[in-house]
Amino acid sequence: MEEEPNNNKVFDLIRELVVRLLSNSSPTQSIDSERALKYAMRILSSRMTPSISIDEASMVESIKRNLVNEGKSSDALNFADLYNKFSSKSGPGSVKNKWGLMYMLKVISEDRKKDKKSDSRVSSGFFASTVNGGLPALFDDLNENSRKTLDNGKSSSRFGGGGGVLLISKDSENFRDLAFREFGNLLKEESEVLEGVLVRDVLYTCQGIDGKYVKFDKNLDGYAVGDSVKVPRATKVMVRKLCELGWLFRKVKGYVSECMDRFPAEDVGTVGQAFCAALQDELSEHYKLLAVLEAQSMNPIPMVSEATSTGNYLSLRRLLVWFAEPMVLMRLMAVLVDSCKVLRGGAMAGAIHNHAQHGDPLVQEFMRRLLRRVCSPLFEMVRSWVLEGELDDIFAEFFVLGQPVKAESLWREGYRLHGGMLPSFISQSLAQRILRTGKSINFLRVCCEDQGWADAALEAAAAVGTTTRRGGLGYGETDALEALVIEAAKRIDKHLMDVMYKRYKFKEHCLTIKRYLLLGQGDFVQYLMDIVGPDLSEPANTISSFKLAGLLESAIRSSNAQYDDPDMLDRLRVKMMPHGSGDRGWDVFSLEYDARVPLNTVFTESVMAQYLRIFNFLWKLRRVEHTLIGAWKTMKPNRITSHFLTKQEGAVKQQFVSTLRRCQVLWVEMNHFVSNLQYYIMFEVLEVSWAHFVDEMEAAKDLDDLLAAHDKYLDSIVEKSLLGERSHSLFKTLFVLFDLILQFRSHADRLYEGIHELQARTVDHSKSSRGRTKSRLKSNNESSEVGTWVSGGRKALTQRAGEFLRDTRKDLEVVAKEYSSSLEGFISQLPLQQHVDLKFLLFRLDFTEFYSRTRLKK
Amino acid sequence: MDPEAARTARESLDLAFHMSNILDTGLDRHTLSLLIALSDVGLNPEALAALVKELRKEPPRITTTPSAP
Repeated sequence: MEEEPNNNKVFDLIRELVVRLLSNSSPTQSIDSERALKYAMRILSSRMTPSISIDEASMVESIKRNLVNEGKSSDALNFADLYNKFSSKSGPGSVKNKWGLMYMLKVISEDRKKDKKSDSRVSSGFFASTVNGGLPALFDDLNENSRKTLDNGKSSSRFGGGGGVLLISKDSENFRDLAFREFGNLLKEESEVLEGVLVRDVLYTCQGIDGKYVKFDKNLDGYAVGDSVKVPRATKVMVRKLCELGWLFRKVKGYVSECMDRFPAEDVGTVGQAFCAALQDELSEHYKLLAVLEAQSMNPIPMVSEATSTGNYLSLRRLLVWFAEPMVLMRLMAVLVDSCKVLRGGAMAGAIHNHAQHGDPLVQEFMRRLLRRVCSPLFEMVRSWVLEGELDDIFAEFFVLGQPVKAESLWREGYRLHGGMLPSFISQSLAQRILRTGKSINFLRVCCEDQGWADAALEAAAAVGTTTRRGGLGYGETDALEALVIEAAKRIDKHLMDVMYKRYKFKEHCLTIKRYLLLGQGDFVQYLMDIVGPDLSEPANTISSFKLAGLLESAIRSSNAQYDDPDMLDRLRVKMMPHGSGDRGWDVFSLEYDARVPLNTVFTESVMAQYLRIFNFLWKLRRVEHTLIGAWKTMKPNRITSHFLTKQEGAVKQQFVSTLRRCQVLWVEMNHFVSNLQYYIMFEVLEVSWAHFVDEMEAAKDLDDLLAAHDKYLDSIVEKSLLGERSHSLFKTLFVLFDLILQFRSHADRLYEGIHELQARTVDHSKSSRGRTKSRLKSNNESSEVGTWVSGGRKALTQRAGEFLRDTRKDLEVVAKEYSSSLEGFISQLPLQQHVDLKFLLFRLDFTEFYSRTRLKK
Repeated sequence: MDPEAARTARESLDLAFHMSNILDTGLDRHTLSLLIALSDVGLNPEALAALVKELRKEPPRITTTPSAP
């Protein structure tokens, strides 16, 4: 505007104005008029660019407001009235730059007011300099009056305002004036960028755009005022501080756009997407704020004088205040972005949640808003999992993991918790419950082919008051979630248990297994043992399992087992275990129970293997018992044995009696052991465990409880029947004892066979002495093997009997010795066992303290 | 300048002067008319206001100087 062509006219106007102003204030100062004119030209030609947007109405509005504020409302009304008239004037002759006039009037009036105030407050000009203009005007300029560049007028104003300093003389004043102007020029030319420009730059940078002076510096990793731009250090620091917001914004924005770009190609995950969307929303809030600030910076109410209050003017300092809050939030977002960069799904939600534990209500509110958005996919997953059993988790973000497995292992292995994806606001127990509920639904659907769970789920949702629709839950409503999960779990578990018990007859199956696999059905076992016994004595590889199956069938049919549910009996099978070359049928025979889906969730292969072990043990025990009973059948004292050799001479007869006695005693000892062991197993182990199991089965609320109860049942049987790890050596001793008993049986059988044979010979012999021819014929017919006996005569017979008895006696002694040492070992090891019930076994075996006393004697 | 325009100009000046008085700017009519003219030729109102202010500040300096020497 300084290059106006009609300068002359303007110049004249200015001259007149200056003269007028000067004459107004002090007519004596006409000497100065030339200088004042120059000065006026400088001011007018200064770079005071009217960068403010020209809005007349708001200007007038502001004037009126000021008047009202001063308590001059009537003046305000008058003013408004006048202005209305004034603004209605148009056409030639009217004032063209109405806004300019208003603006000028306002500024002049404010300046005057200010002057008056300071005058009234400080009477002496000397003090005025210290109080009013204590700070040099130059610095006033820098800090407060941001819009106005420093110019010569300012330096002069300092002379005027802070007159106290310049009392000296007119000559020296010229020097100072000059020097000061020089200094001001220097500042203006070289080191000052308009603060307004800086403010605008800062606002730009906060949107991630480089400003004119403030640019992103890669080395510094931040926005800074360029080195070439000379601004005071303090301003530089402040700009850097403000631009932290821009840096943070850049970071957050970068993350969001990176996620958006990556999305279709890579799996960002629904939680990640929600996070991005939430961040995006927060960023748009940020944009809004910046827009407001920018409008404010574009539409200021500028003040000319440095001392006037700067109103709504947006300075760097003001920005600092404005930015305080967004800075906190943006910093928070940047931290979240940093900590979530590598995370996904539940882990991401958990990481964000960790930042939500904050005392600042602002941060809390922000985090709640953010988390609600972020967690909504997660909660949706929980909801559909708990109520529908659906695992719609294509990005593997949920804390329940599904694996494709066979139906039988669906419950145990099909689903598991993924610890890393479990956000910390969902407790471990709740997570377990969530897992189990969904699992139950899937179990019902897949294994039980049941549809009733849908009703149960609906009912649960209705009970909690949550709709089964999407989006019913959100972050911060963990209680509601928990309530929903608990309700759903309760109902679904109940339904599942009903299905298990009623439709699949779980309890009945358990009972059947106990009866047949754990040999609880006595008559059946007895019968089975009787009919398969002969077959099982054969070598294992010669036995046909089909034949055994047939025998099993007939055992069932001829015992009370025939009245059981045929469906369950159908599942009972004979199983031949893989056998080696030397194995007998006894070693490989076993029964097996075919638990189908869904019961094989409980009776898994490993469980069935346990059952098999128990069965083998019990089967062996039964066999030993059976053997002993069989031995008793032959050993029963009868006339034959008691009258045998009555006519014999002392030594042999003595031998005979003592051998028999030894045999009987040994049998009784063995029988005592076996029957007590049998009793213990049946009543202390199986029945007690079963009773506990039934109780727990009744109390079981879900399948996990049931599984746990069953495992406990099985474990307690294994543990108490000496099958556990800890009683391994004891178990081995037990088997040695069993083997010895079986050996004893064969020896005893041989003994009695021999006795019977001898008996037969003796009878034969005495008969033959009466009728020789007849007996010879008979003996020849009977056997050629014992023919030598007969021919040996009575004496030889006695000798033979003596030898036989001696040999048998020796064998029996060997067995008895081994047996008693093994038994002693067994009994001495028994108290070392941990299980308390084994004490009862010891107590039973050593009821008369016979064994403990013999041990003491040694 | 036709009479119509002159009248408008005078009325405008009157109104402006009134407003100026309400705002207590301390400007007289003539000064105000000069300022309006200057502002209308396009000078920056801010600079004009500054000028008015600076030139008015002269009095304190004058009142204080005599006491100095």
